[in-house]
Amino acid sequence: MNSMASVRETGQVGRWRLLPRLNADTLTIFLFLLPTLVLIGIFVIWPIVNSFQLSFYKWNGIAPTREFIEFDNWSRLLRDDIFVKAFRNNLVVVSLSIAIQMPIGMGLAVLLDQGGRFFLFRLFKTIYFFPMLMSSVAIGILFKYIYDPSFGLINPALEAVGLDSWTRAWLGNTDTSLYAVIAVICWQYTPFYMVLFLAALTSVPEELRDASLIDGAGEGRYYWHIALPLVSGTVRTAIILSLIGSLKYFDLIWVMTEGGPSNSSELMATYMYKKAFPSFEVGYGSTVASALFIIVMGLAVFMLLFTRRFETEV
Amino acid sequence: MRKLLILALILVMVVGTGSLASARQTKQITFWHIQVTGTGPELIQQAVDRYMADNPDVEVEVVPMQNDPYKTRIRTAMGAGDAPCVFMSWGGGPLYEYVQSEQVLDLTPYMMEDDYYTRFLPASLSNVTFDEKIWGVPVENTAVAVIFYNKQIFEDYGLDVPATWDELLEVAQTLIDNGIAPFSLANKTKWTSSMYYMYLVDRLGGPEVFASAANRTGGSFEDPVFVQAGEMVQQLVEMGGFNEGFNGLDYDTGQGRMLMYANQAAMELMGSWEASNFLAENEEFFNDSLGVFPFPAVEGGAGDPSNVVGTVGDNYYHISPTCEYPDEAFQMLQYLIDDESVALRVEAGRIPPVVGVADMIEDPMLSQIMGIVENAASVQLWYDQYLPPELGEVHKDVMQALFGLELTPEEAAAQHEEAVAEYFGQ
Repeated sequence: MNSMASVRETGQVGRWRLLPRLNADTLTIFLFLLPTLVLIGIFVIWPIVNSFQLSFYKWNGIAPTREFIEFDNWSRLLRDDIFVKAFRNNLVVVSLSIAIQMPIGMGLAVLLDQGGRFFLFRLFKTIYFFPMLMSSVAIGILFKYIYDPSFGLINPALEAVGLDSWTRAWLGNTDTSLYAVIAVICWQYTPFYMVLFLAALTSVPEELRDASLIDGAGEGRYYWHIALPLVSGTVRTAIILSLIGSLKYFDLIWVMTEGGPSNSSELMATYMYKKAFPSFEVGYGSTVASALFIIVMGLAVFMLLFTRRFETEV
Repeated sequence: MRKLLILALILVMVVGTGSLASARQTKQITFWHIQVTGTGPELIQQAVDRYMADNPDVEVEVVPMQNDPYKTRIRTAMGAGDAPCVFMSWGGGPLYEYVQSEQVLDLTPYMMEDDYYTRFLPASLSNVTFDEKIWGVPVENTAVAVIFYNKQIFEDYGLDVPATWDELLEVAQTLIDNGIAPFSLANKTKWTSSMYYMYLVDRLGGPEVFASAANRTGGSFEDPVFVQAGEMVQQLVEMGGFNEGFNGLDYDTGQGRMLMYANQAAMELMGSWEASNFLAENEEFFNDSLGVFPFPAVEGGAGDPSNVVGTVGDNYYHISPTCEYPDEAFQMLQYLIDDESVALRVEAGRIPPVVGVADMIEDPMLSQIMGIVENAASVQLWYDQYLPPELGEVHKDVMQALFGLELTPEEAAAQHEEAVAEYFGQ
């Protein structure tokens, strides 16, 4: 009887409300969210739905009519060697980005956290962050000149130390083009993770550090056994950010190689752009875009679930 | 009080826009072009200003844009049914795609009026003539691929300008032996390498081989001519005919020309617009070292060695069918290529595609290039602009792989053929 009464009074069964109570609060909340919802709807949700819809058509992007071709674009995608190659390249970017950017970012963060009290370290913090402040296009053009086989910095530097056999046409060689760009991507994004990790490390209470040092842990063991587990939530966020960012990566690849030579550095996003715009195949380009969406969404959800146990309050 | 203020503000805004709208009773024409480098913007603006001075009831909004963003923006605008009144294209396949998508106004009646079309070089109109109708007005320039070379280097090694492909290979060998790359090539851009291939095909088989393969009138990209052109290209690549790592260099950021300036490469096959790049970037080099010669003949080839690859017209202007004032728009286009505009273009180092332009040119290099064009038995439009856009992209990718020795000439020919056959549903 008692519980029935409470249901009648509050409109709730246990934790679950049967009907949302339309009181003034709800309306206010809804009204405040409305502009955001409308913007997200128009600029995010609708284009996604629209590209899925377009993926079933053959359309050049400008003609008044489009031809409905059912799943032709999708079956073409599955047979498309270049898309498969682009997907594989994306996986290389994902794994190398995480494997290179996270440890270096964390290493730099620990160094800066250690020496944060000294002026020099604060200066370094700013300097390390510079790559992140430059526009990707500027970085791309800069590194195009650095990699230039005749006038660049890398080949003469290798020759100067006697490694003549290591010199390459870094961006013009199908074996090295992708890795040459990944190196630049890591150079650009490591500082971002450094700042993220540094912020997390700074938020670890000072007392824990003092206590562990008094107990004889030493700096190394403090970071490895105490600080790192405490910031594992941030690490997880960083990995997911890097995963999503690497899967839909576009700009540096486009500026430096346009996916070439011969698709050796093609990514899903550059392939999508090539198909949708220069080739006038908006239908197929939308199919690539939709596949990209499904893959990124799927992997991100998987990562979120898989790493749930690392979730902490930090 | 505050509500009153807001109300008043809204009132002002509404009335304000209303009065603005009423002030805009003039005829509005929007005009998109890509002449943003050098004297390009002024050349357009002076013509538009003269037109507006003579026609005060028309207001022309000129919107200059960068080359590559333009390609995406014009297509987005067309797709959204929001195309500008006057826009540009390079003619050829992409224009035909626009035409078939009903995005271009048929200009034949305007061009036929008082035989206006006879003002233009016939080759310039062929790139915008489809289904026996004229769809655009050629204005800007004549651009054909020629070989620029460093006269100093040729002098140093006692080399003569090669007249045949075999002579060219000998010249190349001498340069290689002396540690100089014969040709500078920046092929991340892809269409840069296509020029060698197009010329070799034309020299070996004449323009018909490509035309019949591309238009599916009995030809095929697996014709022996295409395979042989691929073999000749790869022979040049294998002997070291190009600078190292060319597939990673960007033409648009000048990585190819840098090799020329540094005397590390002796020649470059490029559109004649390159002359103005050399002049703007390195005047000393332009004056002291730069020379030009036509692509050499190929012994035993069926093609006329006077033929050129390029475009007569370069940028074409079109009127959108959604344009409210097509008559006014066409009149404005006529100002862009009237005698005054032609004279200004020639002064700026260009070759506008009108009859009699050769007599107006004084610059020796330009008149030499004009001579090459005038003598040409035919002008082959760039493949990537002649072909439908989808196939143009395939062609460019195949070129990069062919030059990178990742495809055999047979495979390259087969990939072309497969893509074209699939496109035309055969």
